[in-house]
Amino acid sequence: MKRRRMTEILIEGNPELADRLASEIRHHYPVRELVAPRQGLTMIKMRETAKQSLFYLGEVLVTEAKVEIGDHIGVGIVAGVREKLAGDLAVIDAACRAGLSETAGWSAMLEAEEIRLADRNRRELAALEKTKVQFDTMEE
Amino acid sequence: MGYVAVKGGTEAIEASIDRLKYERLKGGEQVDVSAILSSMRLLIDQVMSEASLYSPELAALAIKQAEGSMEEAVFLLRAHRSTLPRLYYSETVEPERMAVERRISASFKDIPGGQLLGATHDYTHRLIDYSLLEEEEEERKQWLEQYEAELSALEDAAGDGTYPKVVEYLRDEGLFETFEPDNAEPDDVTKNVFQFPASRSERLQILTRGQTGAVTALGYASLRGYGQVHPTVGEVRVGQLPITVPAHGSEDGDDSYYIGSVRATEVESFVPMPAKGPDGKQELRFEIGYGICYGQNETKAIAMSILDQCLEHPGSDAPSHDEEFVLLHVDTVESTGFISHLKMPHYVTFQSKLDSVRNTRKGRDGHES
Repeated sequence: MKRRRMTEILIEGNPELADRLASEIRHHYPVRELVAPRQGLTMIKMRETAKQSLFYLGEVLVTEAKVEIGDHIGVGIVAGVREKLAGDLAVIDAACRAGLSETAGWSAMLEAEEIRLADRNRRELAALEKTKVQFDTMEE
Repeated sequence: MGYVAVKGGTEAIEASIDRLKYERLKGGEQVDVSAILSSMRLLIDQVMSEASLYSPELAALAIKQAEGSMEEAVFLLRAHRSTLPRLYYSETVEPERMAVERRISASFKDIPGGQLLGATHDYTHRLIDYSLLEEEEEERKQWLEQYEAELSALEDAAGDGTYPKVVEYLRDEGLFETFEPDNAEPDDVTKNVFQFPASRSERLQILTRGQTGAVTALGYASLRGYGQVHPTVGEVRVGQLPITVPAHGSEDGDDSYYIGSVRATEVESFVPMPAKGPDGKQELRFEIGYGICYGQNETKAIAMSILDQCLEHPGSDAPSHDEEFVLLHVDTVESTGFISHLKMPHYVTFQSKLDSVRNTRKGRDGHES
Protein backbone atom coordinates (compact mmCIF):
# COMPACT_ATOMS: atom_id res chain seq x y z
CA MET A 1 0.00 0.00 0.00
CA LYS A 2 1.33 3.44 -0.97
CA ARG A 3 2.43 5.79 1.79
CA ARG A 4 -0.15 8.53 1.09
CA ARG A 5 -3.04 6.12 1.53
CA MET A 6 -1.52 4.28 4.48
CA THR A 7 -0.71 7.42 6.49
CA GLU A 8 -4.24 8.76 5.97
CA ILE A 9 -5.75 5.53 7.32
CA LEU A 10 -3.39 5.50 10.30
CA ILE A 11 -3.91 9.19 11.17
CA GLU A 12 -7.66 9.44 10.59
CA GLY A 13 -8.41 5.95 11.89
CA ASN A 14 -8.21 4.44 15.34
CA PRO A 15 -4.71 5.14 16.75
CA GLU A 16 -4.73 1.67 18.27
CA LEU A 17 -4.01 0.29 14.80
CA ALA A 18 -0.77 2.29 14.50
CA ASP A 19 0.12 1.22 18.03
CA ARG A 20 -0.45 -2.44 17.15
CA LEU A 21 1.61 -2.35 13.94
CA ALA A 22 4.49 -0.42 15.52
CA SER A 23 4.52 -2.68 18.59
CA GLU A 24 4.86 -5.72 16.37
CA ILE A 25 8.00 -4.23 14.78
CA ARG A 26 9.45 -3.01 18.08
CA HIS A 27 8.99 -6.52 19.47
CA HIS A 28 11.08 -8.14 16.72
CA TYR A 29 13.66 -5.52 15.71
CA PRO A 30 15.92 -3.02 17.41
CA VAL A 31 14.54 0.47 16.72
CA ARG A 32 16.97 3.37 17.13
CA GLU A 33 15.38 6.73 17.88
CA LEU A 34 16.99 9.43 15.73
CA VAL A 35 14.62 12.29 16.56
CA ALA A 36 12.38 11.91 19.59
CA PRO A 37 8.82 13.15 18.95
CA ARG A 38 9.04 16.94 18.80
CA GLN A 39 6.83 19.82 17.81
CA GLY A 40 7.50 21.88 14.72
CA LEU A 41 5.74 23.66 11.89
CA THR A 42 4.63 22.84 8.38
CA MET A 43 3.91 25.75 6.06
CA ILE A 44 0.86 25.19 3.86
CA LYS A 45 1.25 26.06 0.21
CA MET A 46 -2.10 26.70 -1.41
CA ARG A 47 -3.51 27.42 -4.84
CA GLU A 48 -6.03 30.26 -5.11
CA THR A 49 -8.82 29.93 -7.64
CA ALA A 50 -8.98 33.50 -8.98
CA LYS A 51 -5.67 33.48 -10.90
CA GLN A 52 -4.51 29.91 -10.15
CA SER A 53 -1.37 31.18 -8.43
CA LEU A 54 0.27 29.86 -5.26
CA PHE A 55 0.53 31.51 -1.84
CA TYR A 56 1.17 30.49 1.77
CA LEU A 57 -1.99 29.98 3.80
CA GLY A 58 -0.18 29.69 7.14
CA GLU A 59 1.54 27.15 9.32
CA VAL A 60 0.17 24.08 11.04
CA LEU A 61 1.63 22.67 14.25
CA VAL A 62 2.96 19.14 13.68
CA THR A 63 4.64 16.43 15.73
CA GLU A 64 7.57 14.76 14.01
CA ALA A 65 9.63 11.68 14.92
CA LYS A 66 12.42 9.79 13.15
CA VAL A 67 13.70 6.28 13.80
CA GLU A 68 16.13 3.87 12.18
CA ILE A 69 15.70 0.13 11.66
CA GLY A 70 18.80 -1.43 10.16
CA ASP A 71 19.90 1.25 7.74
CA HIS A 72 16.38 2.39 6.90
CA ILE A 73 15.13 5.69 8.29
CA GLY A 74 11.42 6.13 9.02
CA VAL A 75 9.62 9.43 9.44
CA GLY A 76 6.40 10.07 11.33
CA ILE A 77 4.60 13.40 10.85
CA VAL A 78 1.15 14.27 12.11
CA ALA A 79 -0.73 17.53 12.63
CA GLY A 80 -1.27 18.50 16.26
CA VAL A 81 0.39 17.37 19.47
CA ARG A 82 0.39 13.57 19.06
CA GLU A 83 3.74 12.26 20.24
CA LYS A 84 2.79 8.60 20.58
CA LEU A 85 1.25 8.46 17.13
CA ALA A 86 4.21 10.28 15.51
CA GLY A 87 6.59 7.72 17.04
CA ASP A 88 4.44 4.80 15.85
CA LEU A 89 4.19 6.28 12.34
CA ALA A 90 7.99 6.59 12.17
CA VAL A 91 8.43 2.92 13.10
CA ILE A 92 5.83 1.83 10.55
CA ASP A 93 7.47 4.00 7.88
CA ALA A 94 10.92 2.51 8.58
CA ALA A 95 9.47 -1.01 8.52
CA CYS A 96 7.87 -0.38 5.12
CA ARG A 97 11.06 1.17 3.72
CA ALA A 98 13.03 -1.86 4.95
CA GLY A 99 10.45 -4.23 3.46
CA LEU A 100 10.22 -6.20 6.71
CA SER A 101 8.26 -9.45 6.39
CA GLU A 102 5.67 -8.33 8.99
CA THR A 103 4.49 -5.53 6.71
CA ALA A 104 3.20 -8.06 4.18
CA GLY A 105 0.38 -8.97 6.54
CA TRP A 106 -0.74 -5.39 7.24
CA SER A 107 -2.80 -4.75 4.12
CA ALA A 108 -5.90 -6.56 5.38
CA MET A 109 -5.92 -4.64 8.67
CA LEU A 110 -5.36 -1.31 6.93
CA GLU A 111 -8.06 -2.01 4.35
CA ALA A 112 -10.52 -2.98 7.08
CA GLU A 113 -9.84 0.32 8.87
CA GLU A 114 -10.20 2.16 5.56
CA ILE A 115 -13.65 0.61 5.09
CA ARG A 116 -14.62 1.68 8.62
CA LEU A 117 -13.44 5.22 7.85
CA ALA A 118 -15.39 5.28 4.58
CA ASP A 119 -18.54 4.20 6.45
CA ARG A 120 -18.01 6.98 8.99
CA ASN A 121 -17.53 9.52 6.20
CA ARG A 122 -20.67 8.39 4.39
CA ARG A 123 -22.70 8.79 7.59
CA GLU A 124 -21.19 12.24 8.10
CA LEU A 125 -22.05 13.15 4.51
CA ALA A 126 -25.61 11.93 4.98
CA ALA A 127 -25.91 14.12 8.09
CA LEU A 128 -24.67 17.14 6.11
CA GLU A 129 -27.04 16.30 3.25
CA LYS A 130 -29.91 16.91 5.67
CA THR A 131 -28.92 20.60 5.60
CA LYS A 132 -29.15 20.79 1.81
CA VAL A 133 -31.73 23.36 0.67
CA GLN A 134 -34.70 22.15 -1.37
CA PHE A 135 -36.02 25.29 -3.04
CA ASP A 136 -39.73 25.51 -3.76
CA THR A 137 -40.94 28.20 -6.13
CA MET A 138 -43.60 30.32 -4.48
CA GLU A 139 -46.84 30.72 -6.39
CA GLU A 140 -49.01 33.83 -6.57
CA MET B 1 16.92 64.33 22.48
CA GLY B 2 17.64 60.59 22.65
CA TYR B 3 16.09 57.85 24.76
CA VAL B 4 17.37 57.50 28.33
CA ALA B 5 17.42 54.08 29.98
CA VAL B 6 15.86 53.91 33.43
CA LYS B 7 15.36 51.03 35.82
CA GLY B 8 13.14 50.27 38.73
CA GLY B 9 9.71 48.92 39.42
CA THR B 10 10.73 45.25 39.57
CA GLU B 11 8.78 44.59 42.74
CA ALA B 12 5.78 46.48 41.44
CA ILE B 13 5.86 44.44 38.23
CA GLU B 14 5.99 41.17 40.17
CA ALA B 15 3.06 42.33 42.28
CA SER B 16 1.19 43.32 39.12
CA ILE B 17 1.66 39.85 37.64
CA ASP B 18 0.35 38.32 40.88
CA ARG B 19 -2.60 40.68 40.64
CA LEU B 20 -3.24 39.47 37.08
CA LYS B 21 -3.30 35.87 38.28
CA TYR B 22 -5.59 36.85 41.13
CA GLU B 23 -8.04 38.43 38.67
CA ARG B 24 -8.07 35.17 36.69
CA LEU B 25 -8.59 32.96 39.74
CA LYS B 26 -10.62 35.00 42.22
CA GLY B 27 -14.00 34.01 40.76
CA GLY B 28 -13.38 30.53 42.06
CA GLU B 29 -14.33 28.75 38.82
CA GLN B 30 -11.98 27.87 36.03
CA VAL B 31 -12.64 26.72 32.51
CA ASP B 32 -10.50 23.77 31.42
CA VAL B 33 -8.63 23.90 28.12
CA SER B 34 -10.65 20.84 27.05
CA ALA B 35 -13.88 22.79 27.69
CA ILE B 36 -12.61 25.69 25.56
CA LEU B 37 -11.65 23.19 22.85
CA SER B 38 -15.07 21.59 22.77
CA SER B 39 -17.25 24.68 23.18
CA MET B 40 -15.40 27.74 21.80
CA ARG B 41 -14.88 26.51 18.23
CA LEU B 42 -15.32 29.85 16.48
CA LEU B 43 -13.16 31.76 18.95
CA ILE B 44 -10.39 29.18 18.48
CA ASP B 45 -10.80 29.51 14.69
CA GLN B 46 -10.36 33.27 14.86
CA VAL B 47 -7.27 33.07 17.08
CA MET B 48 -5.64 30.47 14.78
CA SER B 49 -6.45 32.51 11.71
CA GLU B 50 -4.96 35.75 13.05
CA ALA B 51 -1.96 33.93 14.53
CA SER B 52 -1.42 32.13 11.21
CA LEU B 53 -0.84 28.95 13.20
CA TYR B 54 -3.26 26.04 13.00
CA SER B 55 -3.35 24.32 16.37
CA PRO B 56 -6.71 24.16 18.17
CA GLU B 57 -5.00 22.82 21.33
CA LEU B 58 -2.50 25.67 21.60
CA ALA B 59 -5.13 28.26 20.64
CA ALA B 60 -7.40 27.01 23.45
CA LEU B 61 -4.52 27.19 25.93
CA ALA B 62 -3.64 30.71 24.74
CA ILE B 63 -7.27 31.80 25.18
CA LYS B 64 -7.25 30.52 28.76
CA GLN B 65 -3.92 32.18 29.53
CA ALA B 66 -5.07 35.46 27.94
CA GLU B 67 -8.37 35.46 29.89
CA GLY B 68 -10.19 35.52 26.56
CA SER B 69 -8.35 38.52 25.09
CA MET B 70 -8.10 37.98 21.34
CA GLU B 71 -5.09 40.21 20.83
CA GLU B 72 -3.21 38.64 23.74
CA ALA B 73 -4.02 35.07 22.61
CA VAL B 74 -2.85 35.83 19.06
CA PHE B 75 0.32 37.45 20.42
CA LEU B 76 1.02 34.33 22.54
CA LEU B 77 0.60 32.00 19.56
CA ARG B 78 2.76 34.17 17.28
CA ALA B 79 5.46 34.29 19.96
CA HIS B 80 5.29 30.52 20.48
CA ARG B 81 5.43 29.93 16.74
CA SER B 82 8.68 31.87 16.56
CA THR B 83 10.30 29.31 18.91
CA LEU B 84 9.47 26.32 16.72
CA PRO B 85 11.45 25.04 13.72
CA ARG B 86 9.72 25.00 10.36
CA LEU B 87 10.24 21.37 9.46
CA TYR B 88 8.28 21.03 6.21
CA TYR B 89 6.44 22.75 3.39
CA SER B 90 3.26 21.04 2.26
CA GLU B 91 2.53 19.92 -1.24
CA THR B 92 0.27 22.38 -3.04
CA VAL B 93 -3.22 22.21 -1.56
CA GLU B 94 -5.77 22.28 -4.37
CA PRO B 95 -8.97 23.85 -3.00
CA GLU B 96 -11.21 21.59 -5.07
CA ARG B 97 -10.17 18.77 -2.75
CA MET B 98 -11.85 20.37 0.25
CA ALA B 99 -14.20 17.98 2.06
CA VAL B 100 -17.12 20.40 2.19
CA GLU B 101 -19.17 20.89 5.38
CA ARG B 102 -21.01 24.01 4.25
CA ARG B 103 -21.42 25.65 0.87
CA ILE B 104 -23.71 28.43 -0.28
CA SER B 105 -23.98 30.78 -3.23
CA ALA B 106 -25.54 34.23 -3.26
CA SER B 107 -25.35 34.33 -7.06
CA PHE B 108 -27.40 31.30 -8.04
CA LYS B 109 -30.28 29.49 -6.41
CA ASP B 110 -29.49 26.24 -8.18
CA ILE B 111 -25.84 25.28 -8.10
CA PRO B 112 -24.48 21.89 -9.12
CA GLY B 113 -24.43 19.78 -5.98
CA GLY B 114 -26.86 22.10 -4.21
CA GLN B 115 -26.62 24.57 -1.36
CA LEU B 116 -25.46 22.95 1.85
CA LEU B 117 -26.15 25.03 4.95
CA GLY B 118 -24.01 22.97 7.34
CA ALA B 119 -23.55 24.52 10.79
CA THR B 120 -24.17 28.28 10.92
CA HIS B 121 -25.59 30.99 13.16
CA ASP B 122 -27.03 32.72 10.07
CA TYR B 123 -30.57 31.43 10.52
CA THR B 124 -30.81 31.63 14.31
CA HIS B 125 -32.76 34.23 16.26
CA ARG B 126 -30.33 36.71 17.76
CA LEU B 127 -32.07 36.58 21.12
CA ILE B 128 -30.30 35.70 24.34
CA ASP B 129 -31.11 32.08 25.16
CA TYR B 130 -31.68 32.09 28.91
CA SER B 131 -32.20 28.32 28.90
CA LEU B 132 -28.41 27.94 28.55
CA LEU B 133 -28.12 29.26 32.12
CA GLU B 134 -29.76 26.07 33.30
CA GLU B 135 -28.33 23.64 30.76
CA GLU B 136 -27.64 20.37 32.54
CA GLU B 137 -25.15 17.71 31.50
CA GLU B 138 -27.84 15.03 31.41
CA GLU B 139 -29.96 17.19 29.13
CA ARG B 140 -27.00 17.75 26.76
CA LYS B 141 -26.26 14.04 26.68
CA GLN B 142 -29.86 13.18 25.87
CA TRP B 143 -30.00 15.71 23.05
CA LEU B 144 -26.76 14.34 21.56
CA GLU B 145 -27.94 10.73 21.78
CA GLN B 146 -31.23 11.57 20.10
CA TYR B 147 -29.54 13.57 17.35
CA GLU B 148 -27.00 10.83 16.68
CA ALA B 149 -29.73 8.19 16.64
CA GLU B 150 -31.60 10.19 14.00
CA LEU B 151 -28.44 10.44 11.91
CA SER B 152 -27.68 6.75 12.17
CA ALA B 153 -31.10 6.04 10.68
CA LEU B 154 -30.23 8.04 7.57
CA GLU B 155 -29.25 6.34 4.38
CA ASP B 156 -25.55 6.67 3.67
CA ALA B 157 -24.71 9.37 1.17
CA ALA B 158 -22.66 8.78 -1.94
CA GLY B 159 -19.59 10.81 -2.91
CA ASP B 160 -16.48 11.93 -1.09
CA GLY B 161 -17.63 15.33 0.18
CA THR B 162 -16.03 17.32 -2.63
CA TYR B 163 -18.16 19.61 -4.82
CA PRO B 164 -17.55 21.28 -8.18
CA LYS B 165 -16.77 25.00 -8.06
CA VAL B 166 -19.59 27.31 -9.13
CA VAL B 167 -17.10 29.46 -11.02
CA GLU B 168 -16.00 26.60 -13.27
CA TYR B 169 -19.41 26.53 -14.96
CA LEU B 170 -19.21 30.23 -15.68
CA ARG B 171 -15.65 29.87 -16.94
CA ASP B 172 -16.94 27.28 -19.39
CA GLU B 173 -19.34 29.95 -20.69
CA GLY B 174 -16.44 32.38 -21.21
CA LEU B 175 -17.80 34.84 -18.65
CA PHE B 176 -14.59 34.62 -16.64
CA GLU B 177 -11.02 34.71 -17.84
CA THR B 178 -9.35 31.30 -17.68
CA PHE B 179 -5.89 31.00 -16.15
CA GLU B 180 -3.41 28.17 -16.48
CA PRO B 181 -2.02 26.92 -13.14
CA ASP B 182 0.87 29.18 -12.15
CA ASN B 183 3.33 27.13 -10.12
CA ALA B 184 5.79 29.93 -9.38
CA GLU B 185 7.04 29.60 -5.80
CA PRO B 186 5.18 32.06 -3.55
CA ASP B 187 6.90 34.77 -1.50
CA ASP B 188 6.76 34.38 2.26
CA VAL B 189 6.22 37.48 4.41
CA THR B 190 7.34 35.57 7.51
CA LYS B 191 10.79 35.03 6.00
CA ASN B 192 11.41 38.24 4.07
CA VAL B 193 10.30 41.82 4.57
CA PHE B 194 8.08 42.63 1.62
CA GLN B 195 8.44 45.74 -0.48
CA PHE B 196 5.90 47.66 -2.49
CA PRO B 197 4.46 46.82 -4.87
CA ALA B 198 3.74 43.55 -3.06
CA SER B 199 3.42 40.32 -5.02
CA ARG B 200 0.03 38.62 -5.22
CA SER B 201 1.25 35.83 -2.91
CA GLU B 202 2.39 38.39 -0.30
CA ARG B 203 -0.96 40.22 -0.48
CA LEU B 204 -2.95 37.01 0.02
CA GLN B 205 -0.72 35.84 2.88
CA ILE B 206 -1.04 39.16 4.72
CA LEU B 207 -4.80 39.32 4.24
CA THR B 208 -5.45 35.73 5.34
CA ARG B 209 -3.56 36.32 8.61
CA GLY B 210 -5.10 39.76 9.09
CA GLN B 211 -7.17 40.79 12.08
CA THR B 212 -10.81 39.86 11.50
CA GLY B 213 -12.05 43.29 12.58
CA ALA B 214 -9.53 45.20 10.49
CA VAL B 215 -10.08 43.13 7.33
CA THR B 216 -13.85 43.39 7.79
CA ALA B 217 -13.72 47.15 8.40
CA LEU B 218 -11.67 47.86 5.28
CA GLY B 219 -13.81 45.52 3.15
CA TYR B 220 -16.91 47.31 4.46
CA ALA B 221 -15.33 50.68 3.72
CA SER B 222 -14.92 49.61 0.10
CA LEU B 223 -18.62 48.78 -0.11
CA ARG B 224 -19.55 52.14 1.40
CA GLY B 225 -17.67 54.14 -1.20
CA TYR B 226 -14.05 54.14 -0.03
CA GLY B 227 -13.38 51.64 -2.78
CA GLN B 228 -14.84 50.58 -6.08
CA VAL B 229 -15.63 46.93 -5.44
CA HIS B 230 -19.11 45.72 -4.54
CA PRO B 231 -19.20 42.03 -5.40
CA THR B 232 -21.76 39.27 -5.45
CA VAL B 233 -20.63 36.26 -3.47
CA GLY B 234 -20.30 33.42 -5.95
CA GLU B 235 -19.55 30.76 -3.39
CA VAL B 236 -18.72 30.45 0.29
CA ARG B 237 -17.49 27.07 1.41
CA VAL B 238 -16.29 25.72 4.72
CA GLY B 239 -14.59 22.37 5.02
CA GLN B 240 -11.49 20.32 5.62
CA LEU B 241 -8.41 20.71 3.42
CA PRO B 242 -6.19 17.61 3.38
CA ILE B 243 -2.50 18.37 3.93
CA THR B 244 0.34 16.26 2.56
CA VAL B 245 4.11 16.58 2.78
CA PRO B 246 6.35 15.27 -0.01
CA ALA B 247 8.63 12.32 0.77
CA HIS B 248 12.31 13.24 0.55
CA GLY B 249 13.60 12.62 -2.96
CA SER B 250 10.24 11.52 -4.41
CA GLU B 251 7.93 13.39 -6.73
CA ASP B 252 5.27 10.70 -6.66
CA GLY B 253 2.19 12.09 -4.91
CA ASP B 254 1.22 8.58 -3.75
CA ASP B 255 4.52 8.45 -1.91
CA SER B 256 3.87 11.59 0.15
CA TYR B 257 2.90 11.76 3.82
CA TYR B 258 -0.68 12.63 4.73
CA ILE B 259 -0.43 14.61 7.99
CA GLY B 260 -4.04 15.60 8.70
CA SER B 261 -6.45 18.31 7.61
CA VAL B 262 -7.23 21.92 8.46
CA ARG B 263 -10.68 23.51 8.45
CA ALA B 264 -10.88 26.63 6.29
CA THR B 265 -13.42 29.06 4.85
CA GLU B 266 -13.01 29.92 1.18
CA VAL B 267 -14.84 32.61 -0.80
CA GLU B 268 -15.02 33.54 -4.46
CA SER B 269 -16.66 36.90 -5.09
CA PHE B 270 -17.79 37.89 -8.56
CA VAL B 271 -17.12 41.44 -9.74
CA PRO B 272 -18.13 42.75 -13.21
CA MET B 273 -15.24 44.67 -14.79
CA PRO B 274 -14.81 46.33 -18.21
CA ALA B 275 -12.51 44.37 -20.52
CA LYS B 276 -11.59 44.22 -24.17
CA GLY B 277 -13.31 41.44 -26.10
CA PRO B 278 -11.72 39.32 -28.83
CA ASP B 279 -12.94 41.85 -31.44
CA GLY B 280 -11.29 44.71 -29.55
CA LYS B 281 -14.61 46.13 -28.40
CA GLN B 282 -15.24 47.06 -24.81
CA GLU B 283 -17.35 44.52 -22.92
CA LEU B 284 -18.05 43.44 -19.37
CA ARG B 285 -16.43 40.39 -17.90
CA PHE B 286 -16.43 38.99 -14.38
CA GLU B 287 -13.35 38.90 -12.23
CA ILE B 288 -12.92 36.96 -9.01
CA GLY B 289 -11.98 38.34 -5.62
CA TYR B 290 -10.48 35.54 -3.55
CA GLY B 291 -10.71 35.08 0.20
CA ILE B 292 -9.70 32.26 2.51
CA CYS B 293 -8.83 31.84 6.16
CA TYR B 294 -8.32 29.19 8.80
CA GLY B 295 -11.45 27.92 10.51
CA GLN B 296 -15.03 29.02 9.97
CA ASN B 297 -14.91 32.80 9.65
CA GLU B 298 -17.09 33.75 6.71
CA THR B 299 -17.18 37.50 7.33
CA LYS B 300 -13.39 37.71 7.22
CA ALA B 301 -13.10 35.54 4.11
CA ILE B 302 -15.73 37.61 2.25
CA ALA B 303 -14.04 40.88 3.30
CA MET B 304 -10.69 39.46 2.16
CA SER B 305 -12.17 38.67 -1.25
CA ILE B 306 -13.26 42.32 -1.57
CA LEU B 307 -9.81 43.60 -0.59
CA ASP B 308 -8.08 41.13 -2.93
CA GLN B 309 -10.08 42.53 -5.82
CA CYS B 310 -9.45 46.13 -4.68
CA LEU B 311 -5.69 45.54 -4.56
CA GLU B 312 -5.73 43.93 -8.01
CA HIS B 313 -6.85 47.36 -9.29
CA PRO B 314 -4.56 49.90 -7.64
CA GLY B 315 -5.47 52.74 -10.03
CA SER B 316 -8.29 54.08 -7.86
CA ASP B 317 -7.72 56.93 -5.40
CA ALA B 318 -9.89 55.14 -2.82
CA PRO B 319 -7.98 53.99 0.28
CA SER B 320 -9.06 50.35 0.06
CA HIS B 321 -7.22 50.15 -3.29
CA ASP B 322 -3.99 51.44 -1.71
CA GLU B 323 -1.95 48.37 -0.81
CA GLU B 324 0.26 50.22 1.64
CA PHE B 325 -2.83 51.48 3.48
CA VAL B 326 -4.43 48.02 3.57
CA LEU B 327 -1.49 45.65 4.02
CA LEU B 328 0.36 47.62 6.68
CA HIS B 329 -2.68 48.05 8.94
CA VAL B 330 -4.48 44.71 9.11
CA ASP B 331 -2.03 42.62 11.13
CA THR B 332 -3.16 42.00 14.73
CA VAL B 333 0.25 41.93 16.38
CA GLU B 334 1.60 44.90 14.45
CA SER B 335 -1.40 47.16 15.02
CA THR B 336 -2.16 46.24 18.63
CA GLY B 337 1.56 46.22 19.42
CA PHE B 338 2.12 49.70 18.08
CA ILE B 339 -1.00 51.16 19.63
CA SER B 340 -0.31 49.61 23.01
CA HIS B 341 3.32 50.72 23.04
CA LEU B 342 1.94 54.22 23.52
CA LYS B 343 1.22 53.36 27.17
CA MET B 344 4.86 52.46 27.79
CA PRO B 345 7.04 55.11 29.45
CA HIS B 346 7.67 58.11 27.18
CA TYR B 347 8.88 60.31 30.03
CA VAL B 348 11.73 61.99 28.18
CA THR B 349 9.93 62.57 24.88
CA PHE B 350 6.93 63.98 26.70
CA GLN B 351 9.18 66.18 28.83
CA SER B 352 10.56 67.59 25.61
CA LYS B 353 7.05 68.29 24.28
CA LEU B 354 6.15 69.85 27.61
CA ASP B 355 9.18 72.14 27.43
CA SER B 356 8.20 73.23 23.92
CA VAL B 357 4.65 74.05 24.97
CA ARG B 358 5.85 75.94 28.06
CA ASN B 359 8.36 77.90 26.00
CA THR B 360 5.78 78.94 23.40
CA ARG B 361 3.37 80.00 26.14
CA LYS B 362 6.14 81.91 27.93
CA GLY B 363 6.99 83.74 24.71
CA ARG B 364 3.35 84.58 24.03
CA ASP B 365 2.74 85.70 27.62
CA GLY B 366 5.91 87.81 27.54
CA HIS B 367 4.86 89.38 24.22
CA GLU B 368 1.40 90.21 25.51
CA SER B 369 2.75 91.80 28.68
